[in-house]
Amino acid sequence: MFKKFDEKEDVTGATQLKSSVQKGIRKKLIENYPYLEPHLEEILPKKENFKVIKCKDHIELLADHLGVVRFVKTRNTDYIPTLRTLHKYPFILPHQQVDKGAIKFILNGSSIMCPGLTSPGAKLTPQVPKDTVVAVMAEGKDHALAIGLMSMSSEEIQSINKGNGIESLHYLNDGLWHLAEKPLN
Amino acid sequence: MTSEYGETAVIQSLAPGPTEGVSYPLKVFYCGQCSMPTEYCDYSGQTDLCRAWATQNAPELLEGLEISEEPAEGDEKKKQKRGGKGSKTGAAAAAGGKKKSGPKKVTLQREPRGKKSVTVIKGLATFDIELKVASKLFAQKFACGSSVTGADEIVIQGDVKDDLLDFIPEKWPQVTDELIDDLGDKKR
Repeated sequence: MFKKFDEKEDVTGATQLKSSVQKGIRKKLIENYPYLEPHLEEILPKKENFKVIKCKDHIELLADHLGVVRFVKTRNTDYIPTLRTLHKYPFILPHQQVDKGAIKFILNGSSIMCPGLTSPGAKLTPQVPKDTVVAVMAEGKDHALAIGLMSMSSEEIQSINKGNGIESLHYLNDGLWHLAEKPLN
Repeated sequence: MTSEYGETAVIQSLAPGPTEGVSYPLKVFYCGQCSMPTEYCDYSGQTDLCRAWATQNAPELLEGLEISEEPAEGDEKKKQKRGGKGSKTGAAAAAGGKKKSGPKKVTLQREPRGKKSVTVIKGLATFDIELKVASKLFAQKFACGSSVTGADEIVIQGDVKDDLLDFIPEKWPQVTDELIDDLGDKKR
């Protein structure tokens, strides 16, 4: 989704939000990621205003008061953390681990195929329903390498074991990763 | 259902939750070369550059952690170079270079806000001007609202672009006339 993403081309505008809207977004984030609650103050301090940056294709970025992109909203997902946020707070999303062989394909932007999730090196978190946002971890690595959307439930991945299991939304070294690298204006 | 069950169901999330005894936020080391966490340097397609960076900047990370020197990795690297990956990282590097060498310039822009408009000033920070002080000054000078809206951006309420063209060089002599760019109106 963010394979090609350029600040100049894809950003259409930034808006400072009303504090009531900000409150609503904070509430929603906590609702979606209950474990995030004690840390939300560190990510989006209440005293500071955060911004919404609108982009093409119904993508919205949530940038904190310093202009660092912390969350992303796409057409079919709610606000999801960026990988940089996820690296700091890895516990907020359910984890799915892929085997070693899959890493280089994922880093090239490919979706995660079922066999990569069911082989011996992988760890499939059970009972994750379809359309859940998950963190994609890798065998032998500590940090997430992608964020994806389950295109089947965990059980289906286990039983069908073919085709797309997780749709890749955001991975290391994609456009959004580079965007979140430094503060935007 | 027992009440115990209800309590555990309060957090309806499949996420693992914070590990006890670990303080968050975690500090993750990113490679200065490929920008990924150092453990993924093996897959960057430029392993040698990553290793050079690590030896220079973070020798303690090199210890067993990353960038193995196995021949198998070398093969992989070559494979990736043939693919799209190599060219992409090259392009990214070029883009990064462009940004850094960006000219020291102040830009003025009028931006419509409904039937009125605001003036957006960018680039003042490149001249070591305190944005907060500057914004306060503009507010006083033009008798209007003014705020710092980004790392290097001031928004002044009202169209004061023409006045700014005179006022900025007067106030900060290091910003000469030629260094101010008038970008005109921003289209909606």
